[in-house]
Amino acid sequence: MGLFDEQLTEVKRFLSEARRAGGVREFRAFSTPAWPAESSLVLEEDTAIELGNPQTVSLSLLLWTGGHAVEDGLISLVGPDVGESGELSLPFAQVLMVRGSFEDEYESYQALRDAVYDTRLSGFMVRTRPSKHSLWCRVAREALEQGFSLRYLGAAFVKRLKEVPSASGVEVLFVTSSLDDVERLSGAAAEARRIIEAMMKMYEEKSFDCETCEYRDVCDGVMELKKIREKLAGEKAV
Amino acid sequence: MRDMILAVCGKGGVGKTTVTAVAARELCRLKSTKALVVDADPGGGLEMALSIKPNKTLNDVRKELIEEVKEGKRDERDLAVSLDYLLAEALTEVGNLAFLSIGRPEDEGCYCKVNVLLKDAIAGLAGRFDVTVIDAEAGIEQVNRRVMGEVDYVLLVSDTSTKGIRVGETIKQVADRMVKGEGAGLLINRVLDERAVDLIKASTFLEVIGWIPEDDTIRRFDEEDKSFFDLPDCPAVVSIRNAFEKVGLV
Ligand SMILES: Nc1ncnc2c1ncn2[C@@H]1O[C@H](COP(=O)(O)OP(=O)(O)OP(=O)(O)O)[C@@H](O)[C@H]1O
Ligand SMILES: [Mg+2]
Repeated sequence: MGLFDEQLTEVKRFLSEARRAGGVREFRAFSTPAWPAESSLVLEEDTAIELGNPQTVSLSLLLWTGGHAVEDGLISLVGPDVGESGELSLPFAQVLMVRGSFEDEYESYQALRDAVYDTRLSGFMVRTRPSKHSLWCRVAREALEQGFSLRYLGAAFVKRLKEVPSASGVEVLFVTSSLDDVERLSGAAAEARRIIEAMMKMYEEKSFDCETCEYRDVCDGVMELKKIREKLAGEKAV
Repeated sequence: MRDMILAVCGKGGVGKTTVTAVAARELCRLKSTKALVVDADPGGGLEMALSIKPNKTLNDVRKELIEEVKEGKRDERDLAVSLDYLLAEALTEVGNLAFLSIGRPEDEGCYCKVNVLLKDAIAGLAGRFDVTVIDAEAGIEQVNRRVMGEVDYVLLVSDTSTKGIRVGETIKQVADRMVKGEGAGLLINRVLDERAVDLIKASTFLEVIGWIPEDDTIRRFDEEDKSFFDLPDCPAVVSIRNAFEKVGLV
């Protein structure tokens, strides 16, 4: 049992449906050369394409699990890659699934999300809005000319996330195919965000008054949160 | 020179916005330089001079962030990342330039954490650009409150009036106390008679880095509400460019 079992199932269902429709391309992180790591400022005039800008839909999802549903090193892409679309902007979903043994969920979250935020690639600029689980990326024209594709981004996430000691495998999914496709994952993204927020609240406030808590419904639905609550309340009582 | 943050300061009405707008015009011509231009004067004016309409100000960003904090989001890293996103939305880009307007702060309140995050985020943002030019609020307040954080050069603008020069001197003294080892220089504006420049040089401890003649073209562009991006190489523009070349901005 894990915090995000339901969301993982949803993502996997999305993937298998897309596979059946023949709309998934797969890459292996381990056979992908590393793209130069560097924080970049990409201005509009140097931008080839934007992913998930505020005028369209975007979604960022980070899930971790102790289970086996994660295929290490797999990068799946549903929709056109950044160099294939004639568009200046595409809707965008980024799903990062990490497997490992995560004892302390709070520390795990911080370590994993820091790894995500610290993944910076030359010619690729990303802005994230965690509270809205949205993100906004720009790919520089120069990077595209040098052959940048989402495969490199996926491989960078795999590498960076696996540097987190408790992580043993990372799978990545990118969706650029349509607004509808991205939105099909938005329920999972919103729910995952609430689970994370409920968990953070427990750790930070150490208040366990469920009657007045705005996350009560989340905790009621997720066994793992109840366990965390019991663990923390126990520590507090000692 | 690279990675320079320059603040244009001085008494009210002496030509700070004019000088900043001409800086934007010059920087725009240096295609390979990524420049951030900040309107730090809540009274605004720079957008008008450059015909820019930002759809979001720094104050809007601050309000949105306060909302997040009020909703219970307190994780520093998540807030800092959100702030970067919101700041990016507040930038108005014109070619190699990006503009940020600070807007008019309404709800002061005590959101120290938000203010600290904001200061860090702006410093971080400025750091990513090659150069940053700030059109500061008139007087010494902003310098006093260190609103602009790390400034490398304070460009003091003054007309030929004694009062204008004295305000420039006060700003320099305050700036010296606040920030270590920064440069500062005086640019004298609206000069009708060059002899006035010599008199000022003899009476101030400030380094005079140049002077700008009174120029009908500037006045006309202002009156007709034309974009300073379209200014010709009139005498004022040429002398402002020379001053910026001297301090290493362009
Ligand atoms: N060299 C010049 N020749 C003619 N007119 C000028 C010159 N410099 C500035 N002006 C005019 O002086 C007025 C004030 O200039 P400006 O708005 O740049 O000053 P400011 O210091 O930014 O003022 P504030 O403190 O109100 O922000 C404007 O109408 C401008 O057109
Ligand atoms: Mg002004």
